[in-house]
Amino acid sequence: MRKVLGNKQAIALFVLPAFILYTIVVIAPIVISFYYSFFSGTPGLKWEFVGMKNFLRLFGDSRFLDALIVNLRYIGFVMIGQVGLGLCMALLFRFWLKRFKNLIRTLMFFPVVLPTVAVGQLFAKIYEIQPNYGLLNSLLANIGLRHLVHAWIGEVDTALGSLIVMDIWAAIGFHAVILYGAILDISDDVIEAAAIDGAGSFQLFRHILAPLLRPMIITCLIFSFSGTVKMFESAKALTGGGPGNATKSLSMYMYDVAFNYNKVGYGSVIALFIFLMCIAGSTVIGLFDRKEDL
Amino acid sequence: MKKRALATLMSTVMVVSLIAGCGDSTSGSASSATSTSSQTSSGSDFSGEDPKLTKHMKISTIWAEDNDNGVLINKIAQDYKDNVNPNFTWEYEYIPSADLTTKITTLAGADDLPDMFAYESGKPIVELINAGKIVDIGAELKRIGSSDYVTPSATSLLQTLSGTNTIYDLPLGLNIEGFWYNKALFQQAGISAPPATMDEFEEDLKKLQDAGIQPLVAGGASGETWGSTRVVNAVTVRTLGNDAMKKAAEGQAKYTDQGYVDAAQKVADWAAAGYFGEGINTVTMNAAGQMLMNGQAAIFYNGSWFAGNLNSEDNAAGPDGIGYFNVPVVDASKSGATDYSMNCGNILCLDKTKYDDGTAWFLKYFVEHIGDVAMETEGTVKGYTYKTQASEMSGYTKLVLDEIGKATGAFTWYEATMGAEVSKTAQENVQLLLTGDMNGQQYMESIQEAFDMAD
Repeated sequence: MRKVLGNKQAIALFVLPAFILYTIVVIAPIVISFYYSFFSGTPGLKWEFVGMKNFLRLFGDSRFLDALIVNLRYIGFVMIGQVGLGLCMALLFRFWLKRFKNLIRTLMFFPVVLPTVAVGQLFAKIYEIQPNYGLLNSLLANIGLRHLVHAWIGEVDTALGSLIVMDIWAAIGFHAVILYGAILDISDDVIEAAAIDGAGSFQLFRHILAPLLRPMIITCLIFSFSGTVKMFESAKALTGGGPGNATKSLSMYMYDVAFNYNKVGYGSVIALFIFLMCIAGSTVIGLFDRKEDL
Repeated sequence: MKKRALATLMSTVMVVSLIAGCGDSTSGSASSATSTSSQTSSGSDFSGEDPKLTKHMKISTIWAEDNDNGVLINKIAQDYKDNVNPNFTWEYEYIPSADLTTKITTLAGADDLPDMFAYESGKPIVELINAGKIVDIGAELKRIGSSDYVTPSATSLLQTLSGTNTIYDLPLGLNIEGFWYNKALFQQAGISAPPATMDEFEEDLKKLQDAGIQPLVAGGASGETWGSTRVVNAVTVRTLGNDAMKKAAEGQAKYTDQGYVDAAQKVADWAAAGYFGEGINTVTMNAAGQMLMNGQAAIFYNGSWFAGNLNSEDNAAGPDGIGYFNVPVVDASKSGATDYSMNCGNILCLDKTKYDDGTAWFLKYFVEHIGDVAMETEGTVKGYTYKTQASEMSGYTKLVLDEIGKATGAFTWYEATMGAEVSKTAQENVQLLLTGDMNGQQYMESIQEAFDMAD
C-alpha cells in the first residue's frame, strides 16, 4: 500500500478523475461567473463588455441591500432556531421522554423528508386568511384572540417570521436526530459522576454536555448555514419573496436579475457576493472550532 | 490549519455552486429538440396542394396537452397529420407559465428555440424581434396567402404591442378585460345596475360594504399580482387616456406624474377602506374567482377567459349569476365606455433558424383552421376568422362575444409596455400598496426608479 501511495502516477490516477469532474462542475462555473460579471445583457442576445459597471451598481442598488438584510436575518434566526431547538429536542429524548420515544422521534423527523414545496403549501394553508381562515387563524378566532387574526404571509411585518417558523419546523428533526446520536455517545458514567458531584440540570449541560457536544453542534451549524445562506425554495414556495421584497433573499434576487431581467453579468456579481458571504460565514463558524483546539 | 482553510473553501464553493445550479435548471430539457425537414425552397408555391414534406416540430407552450389551448394546438397538429400531411410529426412540451420568459430567453441565447413556442406579447417579444430570433409572421402569411385569416383587430393589437407594422406572433385569443360581478350580491346591496362611471362604482363599493359584503377581490398573492395591477391600470387609463402607460414607457410622461400617483392612491384607499377584505396579498386569481362565484366577494377584475370558469359546473352562481361591466368611465373624452382593455393572450412565435417550408405549410393549415376549431370545440374566439358557430354557446360566451363586438378602442394592460425589471417592481410593490406599506406616491416612485435603473 505504501508503495502505491508513494507513486505519484498512482495518486494522480486516483485524484485526477474526481478533480477534473469537480473543476467542470464547481470551479469552472465560478470562474465563468467572474468573467460574466464584466458584461451586461444575456449571452447570445445582447452581450456587451462594461468593465466594473456591474460591481459599482451593487453599491447603489437598494433592492440588493434589502435582500441582503432579509438573508442575514433569516440565516441568524433559522440557524439559532434549528440548532437550538434541535438540541432541546435531543435533550428531551435523552433525559425526559420515557414513553413513545421512537414514535415521537419519527414524528419529529417526518418533516425532513417532505418536499419543500409540499411544506410551503401546507403552511400556506395553515396561515390562510382568505377565502377561509386557515388552522392558525381559526384557532386564534376560536379561543377568543380574534384581534390576533392576521394575514401572516401577506404582511411585511410577519411574512419573514412566518417563513422562519416554517423552515425551523421543517429541519428541527434533522438536527435533533444528529444531536441525540451525539448525546447517546456520552458515557452514562460521566453523567452519573456529575450528578453525584451535585451538578444540577443547568450545570450538567453547561459543564459536561455542551463541551462534549460542541463538535456536533458546530457540524449542525454548518449544515444549517449552508442550507440557509442559499434561502430560495422555501421562500419561493410559501411567499414568493413577497409581500413586496419582504422575504426576497439574495439568491432569489440574483435569479431575478440574471434570468428574469436578462442581466446575467450583474447577476454574476451578486453570485460572487454570495460566494464571499459563504467564506465569511464559514470563517465565523470555524472560529468556534478553533476555540475547541486550544 | 491548511486543511481547515481548504475545507472552508470547499464548503463555500459547494454552496455557491448549489445556488448557481438554481438558475440552470431550465436550460437542459429542450436541448434534445430536433427539427428536420427534408425539403426547403424559398420560392415554393403555396397556392396548390400541400406537398407533404417530412417535418418534425417541437412545440412548447404553457398549456398542458389536456387543457385550454393545449387541446386546441394538439388537435390542429393531429388533424394536419391525419388529413393533410402524414409525414408531419410533433413533440409537445409544457412549460410552467412562471418559467416561460426565463426558459425562452435562455434558449434564445443558446440558439435552441423550439420550432413553435408560446411567449408574451409586449416588451418581451420586442427583445426577440430586435435580436432577430423569430419569424416575421406577417410577411410569411402574405407569402403563403393566409394573411386574411387573422382578424384585423388581432393584427392591429399585436402590431401595437410589438411596435411594428407587421406581426411576429400568432394570437391565441382576443380577450377583453373588465369587472365581473355577482348579481345576487348586487341585488342584496340594493344596486340595480352595474356602474357606468367611477363615481357610481365607488358608491356601489360603499353600498356593498355597508351591506356586509366584501366589495372587491383581486389576485394579490405573489406571482399573481397582475390581478391587482390591472385594477390600478383600469383607474389610470380611465383618468389619463388609453395611451397613458405607453407615454410613461416612452418617456413622454413620468410614472410619478400626478395622474399616475392619484390612480395608484385611489386603489390604495380602496384597500385601506377594507374593500378588498383581509389578506388580499395571499389571494390567488383562482381563489378570487371562486370567491366571486361562491358569493364571498361581489366584484372581480379579470379577462374574458374567465368565462371558461363561469361555464364550468363549479360555478356556484349558476349560468346567469355573474355579470360583466367594462371599467367605469372617469373622463369619456380620454377613455370612453367602449374602450376596452384588450389582449391576445399568450401568443405563439416561430423560431427563425428552424423555419422552413415544412413549417410554412403547417402554419398555413394552422391559421386557416384554428378559428373554426376553437369555435366548434370551445366556443371561443382566438383572433382568427371562423365560419362555424358553436353548437351550444353558453350565456357567458355570448356575453363576451357581445362585449367584444361593442369595442371601438383598446388599451393594454399595466405591464405591457414595461421591461421585465419595471414590470416585476410594479407587480411586487403593488402588494405593499394594498397593505398600506406604500402610498401611491411611493409606489409610483419605485416603478420610476426601476425604469431609470433598467438599461
